Amino acid sequence: MQLVEKIIKGERAAIAKAITLVESSRENDKKESRKLISELLNKPGKSIRVGFSGPPGVGKSTFIESFGRYLVEKNYKLGILAIDPSSQITGGSILGDKTRMIEISKNPNTFIRSTPSRGSLGGISIGTREASIILDAAGYDFIFIETVGVGQSEIMATNLVDIFSLIVGPGSGDELQGIKKGITEYADIFIVNKNDGDLKSEASKTASDYKSAISYYKKSNDTADKEVLLVSAIEQTGMEKVIETIKNIVSQNKKNKNFDERRAKQFNYWIEEEVREIIQFNIQKKIKADGSISKFSQKVMDGKIQMFEAIEAITKNLQSK
Amino acid sequence: MKTNNSDNYTKWQKSFERETKIDLNEASSETDEGIEIKPVYTKADIENLSFVDNDSLPGQLPYTRGPKASMYTNRPWTIRQYAGFSTAEESNDFYKKNLKSGQKGLSVAFDLPTHRGYDSDDDLVMGDVGKAGVAIDTVEDMKILFNDIPLDQMSVSMTMNGAVLPVLSSFIVAGEEQNVNKNLLSGTIQNDILKEFMVRNTYIYPPDPSMKIVADIIEFTSKEMPKFNSISISGYHMQEAGADNVLELAYTLADGMEYVRAALSKGLDIDDFAPRLSFFFAIGTDFFMEIAKLRAARTLWYKIMKDFGAKNEKSMILRTHCQTSGVSLTEKDPYNNIIRTSYEALSAILGGTQSLHTNSFDEAIALPTDESARIARNTQLILQNETGVTNTVDPLAGSYFIESLTDELSKKAWEIIEEIESLGGMTKAVKAGVPKLKIEESATKKQAKVDSGSRVVVGVNKFKNPKEPKVDVRVIDNNKVRDDQIKKINDIKASRDQKAVDESLAKLVNAAKEDSNLLACSIDAIKKRATVGEVSKALEQVYGRHFATSLSVSGVYGKHFEGDEDFMNVTKKVNIFEEENGRRPRVLVVKMGQDGHDRGAKIVATSFADMGFDVDMGPLFQSPKDVAKDAIENDVHAIGVSTLAAGHKTLVPELMKSLKEIDPKSKIIVFVGGVIPEQDYDFLYKNNISAIFGPGSNIIESAEKVIDLISDKIHKNN
Repeated sequence: MQLVEKIIKGERAAIAKAITLVESSRENDKKESRKLISELLNKPGKSIRVGFSGPPGVGKSTFIESFGRYLVEKNYKLGILAIDPSSQITGGSILGDKTRMIEISKNPNTFIRSTPSRGSLGGISIGTREASIILDAAGYDFIFIETVGVGQSEIMATNLVDIFSLIVGPGSGDELQGIKKGITEYADIFIVNKNDGDLKSEASKTASDYKSAISYYKKSNDTADKEVLLVSAIEQTGMEKVIETIKNIVSQNKKNKNFDERRAKQFNYWIEEEVREIIQFNIQKKIKADGSISKFSQKVMDGKIQMFEAIEAITKNLQSK
Repeated sequence: MKTNNSDNYTKWQKSFERETKIDLNEASSETDEGIEIKPVYTKADIENLSFVDNDSLPGQLPYTRGPKASMYTNRPWTIRQYAGFSTAEESNDFYKKNLKSGQKGLSVAFDLPTHRGYDSDDDLVMGDVGKAGVAIDTVEDMKILFNDIPLDQMSVSMTMNGAVLPVLSSFIVAGEEQNVNKNLLSGTIQNDILKEFMVRNTYIYPPDPSMKIVADIIEFTSKEMPKFNSISISGYHMQEAGADNVLELAYTLADGMEYVRAALSKGLDIDDFAPRLSFFFAIGTDFFMEIAKLRAARTLWYKIMKDFGAKNEKSMILRTHCQTSGVSLTEKDPYNNIIRTSYEALSAILGGTQSLHTNSFDEAIALPTDESARIARNTQLILQNETGVTNTVDPLAGSYFIESLTDELSKKAWEIIEEIESLGGMTKAVKAGVPKLKIEESATKKQAKVDSGSRVVVGVNKFKNPKEPKVDVRVIDNNKVRDDQIKKINDIKASRDQKAVDESLAKLVNAAKEDSNLLACSIDAIKKRATVGEVSKALEQVYGRHFATSLSVSGVYGKHFEGDEDFMNVTKKVNIFEEENGRRPRVLVVKMGQDGHDRGAKIVATSFADMGFDVDMGPLFQSPKDVAKDAIENDVHAIGVSTLAAGHKTLVPELMKSLKEIDPKSKIIVFVGGVIPEQDYDFLYKNNISAIFGPGSNIIESAEKVIDLISDKIHKNN
């Protein structure tokens, strides 16, 4: 396939078209996309995939701009997949990440793609995993995946990345109680941003709050330690420590096989997800063709049968087809 | 709302309801500001007002009726036309011609590279040199600009905010070399950086150092230049960017408060600098509202300054320049603009402005010609000499409606001022991006009203002219201007004492690090023939260059079109498109070059998204190369270029070239919107531009055209 070669050669337009293909909701495209990804999986690159998430307003994009600048100055090739929310009402979206990544978006060593979330719940959009495989094959050293909001999205993102980091702002320690469980379990690195100016002491305090919070989390012996880091995106301080930490965690996890295990688990999850999607798609088609749901629901409304009876009857009917 | 219980009123109400068949309670209309306008006002409406004092007279506190007792009966307002054309020579010619034909003050428009502190030879400003104003690279340009214009006699106003230090320095040195001491220079420098962060975007440094520069200038001028206004606190650009009158009024005064605090922090006494603070408001087409705004502005400023502890009466008086609204001008049926401008001018005068600029009717399309500039100036000469408006001070005082409206506006603005103060003042609010977002929301609402037809714009969405008149516009050869400027820079660099320049720039850098006054050092560097760009870059070493983050509103536009057929038609097309193509139509909206006016781009982005498009928003000040990379990586279907500063003839072809360089088979279509003279249409189409949308284009129609163009392109390729 010509496209594969172009991607491996790192042709910008080809990479972009391939990402469009894997994001497409069209059935034909999906088939082609699976073919493409299968081929690319045979030609893996060496990229480290890092997830960045955090509540709105903590300066996620600003941090990525600052950290990214640090990396490209050191001649790393950096791919960024940023996910922006689509409007629930209109389905459209405003993809504004690049207004906050001005310097790195100009750099020839970056590839930055924004993707609308299209109502997918986890803040991870359809195709993000495949897009990271494309960038990996294209030779990017790091792939950043930036997700929207907090909550469900982190947990989804951990299925796509080697390292998951949470960016928080000064003073967010108080909210920790409520969200502690999910986050401390999934995040590898906590980055406290805005460690500058008037906010410095507040930022240090927040960092120690997080440190004490993660000490509650009982880790299995062989995984790398979770880290809390202080940075200032606007002053570009603390970046060295971030890359160092990422590298340390990766090498430690590689040593103890944790890295491969995580990737294997993700693979497993991915296949399950794909299978589920295909089954769901087939069922959807059946439901549409069958049309018995509306008939049964009318019967329920009219009091002719009970709801659970209707559900059983419909299910049996669909399974037999 | 106050009610009137008199018998007469009850009788009137009955007649009104009989004539209109409408219940009086439902007969009011609501302005953009959310102020209720009633069909009739009575004495009851002006009893117990909160801010307005019905017994006060002109020149008396709270100065609602005017800063002076005699106002225009003694001396009419100053006709001050803002202009600047490409080169210093051309501008100088233009100024001298205008002064001969009755203009009293000068007002200089600079080109965008000068605003942003770049020399004309900088690669970043390729498409911007000499566009939308005069290019000033060194003091030599400034000297040519004022050749044969005695600076001790002429008051000069300069619209400069970003590169205030080198430009004000050049002005001072130009005066000196004309043998005019700086203490004799009169005029105004805009020096209002806060509004740049809100709307106009011609800043250079981040907010905090920018505020320091403002304070330095206030400090220096208050000691050394007693006749010079150190700042012109401007609401103009807010209204131009779509702010309603309450937002414009409140944010401008809140900016003023922040500048007062900045100057106080320098240890100055308030009465030493406050009399030299001046203001600048926009006058749009809402006739009575604009009059009330100027009266309310003076009333509130008095209160603000008294609270600051000012003792000198002059510190408490708001003096203002006004300009008729540029955004109210239309490209369609352009002669209507003469009429709009005339009414706006009358509003400004009835509101009691101290000076006025009237726009030329062709400014929605290009820079004014000699002829259109003459008509604009004559608008004011006719008002001064033929209409009798100068014979009575504040003739609308005592009008139930005007007084009540003045009070209502004051109240609403005061609430917003208190809100900004509670955030810790305007610098903090600006950093958080609050005012910018509020203004964009207001702009989007206004656009939706026009597009939906609920607001009539004659010749645009109603009473269209079946035979659009052809208008001759001024053409600028941008490349020639740039080449000439580059040659001048090279000559100066070859002849100057380089060591002296380096030393003076090093001193400036030190001053910035040590936090001492920057204007004095900058004057020295300019005197030694350092360029505007060199001075700006020296400070950039210390402060860095500011890049604004950009937030966007969503849903505001679409809300006005619930159930609207045209709107639904586009959203339906978008949904069909998604089904056929596996994704939504995707459009990258960009600005290129140094043009920071992003109202249009923002409105297009938010309204397209409301119609279901995926819209990529590019950062400001991008080069065509950056845009091409962005577009290709995101595999957009189309790029929409918003251009308001005449850079399109250079930048758009560059973009097309860059796209092909990255992807020779690129299928991305490019459309252009903004201020584009019809003469350039052919040129753009020849460069493979797919569509051009002038000012006043209906956004829904534009969106439909764009999606059709995208679909056509896809079908052709299949």
